[in-house]
Amino acid sequence: MSISATAADTKAVAKPVRRTSAKTVWLLAPGVVWMFLFLVTPILMMIYVSFWTQTTFKITPALTVQSWVTFFTTDTYLSALWTTVRIWLIVLASTLIVGYPAALYVGLFVKNKTVQTALLVLCVIPFWTSFLIRVLAWRPMLGKEGAINLILQGLGVIDHPIEVLLFSELSVIIGMTQIYCVFMVGPIAFMMGRIDQSVIEAAQDLGAGFWRIFRTIILPLTMPGVVVGAIFVSVMVLGEFATAAALSGRKVNLLGNIIVTQVGSLKWAFAAVVGVVLTVLMGIVVAALLRVVDLRKEL
Amino acid sequence: MQAGGIKLSLGIYTMLFLVFLYAPMVVLAILSFQTGPEGGPQFPIIEWSTYWYRHLFGLTPPSRIAPLPINEALVRSLVLSVMTMVVSTVLGVTSAQAFRRRFTGSGIIFYLIVLGMMVPGVLVGLGMALVANALGIDRHWWGTAFVLHVVYTYPFAFLVMLAILNRFDQSVEEASWSLGVSPARTFRKVTFPLIFPGVLSAMLFAFTLSYDEFSRTLFASGRDLTLPLAIYGTFSVEVHPNVFAFGVLTTIFSFALLGVYAILMMLSIRRAKRIAIQEEA
Repeated sequence: MSISATAADTKAVAKPVRRTSAKTVWLLAPGVVWMFLFLVTPILMMIYVSFWTQTTFKITPALTVQSWVTFFTTDTYLSALWTTVRIWLIVLASTLIVGYPAALYVGLFVKNKTVQTALLVLCVIPFWTSFLIRVLAWRPMLGKEGAINLILQGLGVIDHPIEVLLFSELSVIIGMTQIYCVFMVGPIAFMMGRIDQSVIEAAQDLGAGFWRIFRTIILPLTMPGVVVGAIFVSVMVLGEFATAAALSGRKVNLLGNIIVTQVGSLKWAFAAVVGVVLTVLMGIVVAALLRVVDLRKEL
Repeated sequence: MQAGGIKLSLGIYTMLFLVFLYAPMVVLAILSFQTGPEGGPQFPIIEWSTYWYRHLFGLTPPSRIAPLPINEALVRSLVLSVMTMVVSTVLGVTSAQAFRRRFTGSGIIFYLIVLGMMVPGVLVGLGMALVANALGIDRHWWGTAFVLHVVYTYPFAFLVMLAILNRFDQSVEEASWSLGVSPARTFRKVTFPLIFPGVLSAMLFAFTLSYDEFSRTLFASGRDLTLPLAIYGTFSVEVHPNVFAFGVLTTIFSFALLGVYAILMMLSIRRAKRIAIQEEA
């Protein structure tokens, strides 16, 4: 099914450009075919299988909505959906709050280009190292005998270790904020760099204070960066399960965790339902974010 | 002045932000030098030692803590990353080459390719496992997982190449063609040296992303573990400092890779400059 669709597409591509058409098609074909076979087909398969019949250990292609009914009538799954939405919103807000001031400083206040690049590279380097190790690194930080508790106790700020730091929703949020705020800082700092300095100077000459300049010039002009960052962060947080698995002590169950558990117990049809729910949720979020700012016009 | 105060406080904030980014890794690195096998993954450091590094390589006497299953996993991960790097770079270069000419449907194809890096691994991984099950294909890291790695890294290679190709002057190639040089030779002698920095970046992206990739691999790779899967396996059990020691080593490996990239990049820029000077003389 999908293969014939590919052929039809590439033919449609080929028609208008006469002389270079064959070459263009040949250059594009491998990549497009690859994406159809290994990206589009699996996603379509997931939608299809979500309507299959699930017995204890296997699935049969007799169509039913049983798995869907189970999902929307079971509290565990509905609460996982709610947890996913809640964690996503909190992490989105926290990456923005944590990342924006840093992007503001690097993009606007650092005038020396070399220092600016060095600071941006410092922000990006952690992205280069293993994701799982970065998640795991929060355990000795947040634990009952972890670095943060030791330091706070040493300073005499607290008498007893704060236990809520690890194996809680808070630890998942802290971990995700650190891991994903890079994707917020990058696009915002990029937009900061494009702001015409003379606009800000003109506002200053006219007597505007910093907050006024921030509200009327800097914030609106960096909104496209915020939206791009928000799309990155949203897509990644919604598809997450490893951070919750490592830092929540099984207390936080995201939709991703449900998929992993269901696959583990061979409930393929049910895992597919959760997958489709997640896909739809993501589609809505990305579409809504693109509504906020017209990226094509702004970039 | 007010602006000065704001600049200062934002500067201090940015320093704290960097501490937030790096502190966990620093703590992890310190704790990897905990004594073993009785020292746990927390402070205080009972005694500084390289026990857990030796433990990683199987150089310590057997203890109740099982060594990480990383020997074969490392080989698999490296082979998989190289395979992914080669295929996604080739696909990225060819597709970006096609995008230099305008054609109808380019918008849809662009989004189709970029979709590969946006769709979460857990979804494609699940979908691929379902396809494999339905077709009766066994799942392997070199098969089902490999094709998903390419789905993920090929868009990065494509975008990098697109940015590079958009920048360079087509008339150089046209000059070569009009002098009667064959297209294949033109690509080798003219186009490729010009796009080489882009190819190098695409390769670095593909290799690193594939080497660390894990959510796609989880469902699609079957029985044999890759390196990230071996680490993920430790999440559900008690963590020992041997995982920290491994974390330090793999981070050093990532930085070494970045270093090799920087050196190759510098060499290519120097070569370009030398040629430019020769032409002027």
